[in-house]
Amino acid sequence: MTAMTLHRPRLKARRLTDVLSHGYIWFCLVLFVLPFVALLTQSLGERGGTSGIDNYADVFGSFGDNLLWSFKISGLALLVDLAVCLPAAYALVRYPVPGKRVIFSLLQLPLYVPGAVIGLSLLMTYTFVYPIEFMWGLVLAMSVGSFPLMLTPIVVALKDLPLVFEEAAECLGATKWQAYRKIVFPLIGPGVSAGLLLCFIIVFNEYLVTLFVHPPEVTTAPLRIFNLVRTAGLLPTTAALAVTMQLISFAAVLLFFRVFGTRYLKGTYLI
Amino acid sequence: MSTVRLVGITKHYGATVAVQDFNLQVADGELVTLLGPSGCGKTTTLRTVAGLVEPSAGRIWFDDQDVTDLPPRKRNIGFVFQTPALFPHLSVANNIAFGLSVKGAKKDAIGARVDEMLTMVGLAGYGSRLPAQLSGGQQQRVSLARVLATDPRVLLFDEPLSALDRNLRDTLKYSILDLQRRTRKTAIYVTHDQSEAFAISDRIVVMNAGRAEQIGTQTDIYLHPQTPFVAEFIGANNGLTGTVTGTDGAGDEARMVVAADGLTLRARPRPDVRAGDQVLVYLRPENLVVLPDGDGAEYDNVVDGTIDRVIFEGPTAQLRVDVAGRELRADISGSQRLTLIQRQGKVRLGFNDLTMIPAGAALTSAGSESASAAIANAAPGGTEP
Ligand SMILES: Nc1ncnc2c1ncn2[C@@H]1O[C@H](COP(=O)(O)OP(=O)(O)OP(=O)(O)O)[C@@H](O)[C@H]1O
Ligand SMILES: [Mg+2]
Repeated sequence: MTAMTLHRPRLKARRLTDVLSHGYIWFCLVLFVLPFVALLTQSLGERGGTSGIDNYADVFGSFGDNLLWSFKISGLALLVDLAVCLPAAYALVRYPVPGKRVIFSLLQLPLYVPGAVIGLSLLMTYTFVYPIEFMWGLVLAMSVGSFPLMLTPIVVALKDLPLVFEEAAECLGATKWQAYRKIVFPLIGPGVSAGLLLCFIIVFNEYLVTLFVHPPEVTTAPLRIFNLVRTAGLLPTTAALAVTMQLISFAAVLLFFRVFGTRYLKGTYLI
Repeated sequence: MSTVRLVGITKHYGATVAVQDFNLQVADGELVTLLGPSGCGKTTTLRTVAGLVEPSAGRIWFDDQDVTDLPPRKRNIGFVFQTPALFPHLSVANNIAFGLSVKGAKKDAIGARVDEMLTMVGLAGYGSRLPAQLSGGQQQRVSLARVLATDPRVLLFDEPLSALDRNLRDTLKYSILDLQRRTRKTAIYVTHDQSEAFAISDRIVVMNAGRAEQIGTQTDIYLHPQTPFVAEFIGANNGLTGTVTGTDGAGDEARMVVAADGLTLRARPRPDVRAGDQVLVYLRPENLVVLPDGDGAEYDNVVDGTIDRVIFEGPTAQLRVDVAGRELRADISGSQRLTLIQRQGKVRLGFNDLTMIPAGAALTSAGSESASAAIANAAPGGTEP
């Protein structure tokens, strides 16, 4: 009896915190999802006799080119990032590079510098010092801006990977390259893919640096949205493009969690 | 198969000397263990043989090939690490196949070899599992199969059982010994566990502070330690300090008389010890025998004391005896131990085999002396003292 009476008030208190915490979660969700819903509503708006769905036809019609450029630039920038970061991370973690910490901090610089400043400095570099024609300037600009996001997860994954796997491989007769390709690379896969995801999201949605360094024939989707909104306000078709961009980013994140959150990690030393 | 020769191996890490002038010759098919306390340089020595550590000085030979400058992959060794270090993303079969596939062996040859190895370590049918789906002991057996698959010249083990529990350690150490014997591989085995070293070695190298203190068979090391360090490191030993006062008897019966901590003891003569020398004397607790009163004529040494404590440990009874104000430990086994449990008061102890070491026995001279002696008569199965 005494136990019961003692328990009751505690139960009530717990119920109250339950309600509060659930309420808080929903509040946050609404806060974060609201802009997306607003944009979605706008994108389905009527526009001189056409239905909302027609707005999305434009995404693959007149905006198709812009989306294609976005994918192309992102894809190439990711490849450049990978080509730079995989060896760089390996050297930073596995070899006694003098001034390691300083180098690593300096390499993070693009993350702290405002996009407009990066854009300006890249513009100056490419125009006066090292003119790069066509879209490669843009690709390199995107790589410069995003590679710290690739480097950091790979460095973390490598640091976490015990040296003994490489040593075992070498003692079994593997060359350094074979050990890297067959053992190290698959085992830092989660780090690499996290880097890919982060860089993709950043590059795919980037418009500020693009504004500075894009050649006239290249207009990426975010840049097109920026231009349209600046000149004509938020038209339903523009909103439709923006919604599509958001869905693509969301899909990339979902894919990442599906692939690397479950199957890949099972059976490795990570889980 | 191969002989292995380490000549003057030294390794510095900055100011730290991990290994100092280490010499060892391992005969074809022999299993030599490196035994010593933590930090004495066992792992470093072993890794220089593998090529994972570059020695600061010295050369390493496999047969008549100088391998000092070869990378690990060109030495054809099998290294078993403290952790199984199986590649977590590859199946058991692909782990075992790894060494063969990087060397470009044919697919069906690899398959047959993998099956052979799995059977050899008693894990037939486990090929498709991932390492994480095996127990620790099974993983270490797979890592053994993985190194044996490439048919290495030399097997190197760095405390391969220290991460496992006691029962598993006991069975697995004999599996390792059995595999080494069957494949007739030359092997170097690092451990800090004395019973492991005694159970499987042809010869034991006792290491201290980067040096080989003594190299010899189990009986050499156990019965005839050459330095105070070895005498104190191996087993539990009663140590006394004393002075040689003279000799007694002749021929086989000749004994040196030592006055040690108020006792008069008799030890077998040593050529490097003369009357008047300071010596260290060690008596092994398990060599002490409890004598009936007034008996003991057949023992070199008979001492009388008072029992302080009797600790019954099951297979043995540990006796703490106060002899001339000094505590000696005696480990009594067999049926005699049962009669001792209730015993108190006076007791008479007898013993023959004393170890006498000159007090100045520097570890360098003793170490390198016995090292060169061991190199001179290295043979599979070692040499008897
Ligand atoms: N990479 C390294 N850098 C600096 N010092 C090292 C390095 N490796 C080993 N040492 C030092 O060398 C000495 C010998 O180390 P080693 O690992 O060979 O000892 P060990 O006998 O294997 O010990 P344990 O039984 O603890 O494994 C130690 O003092 C250690 O601190
Ligand atoms: Mg070690």
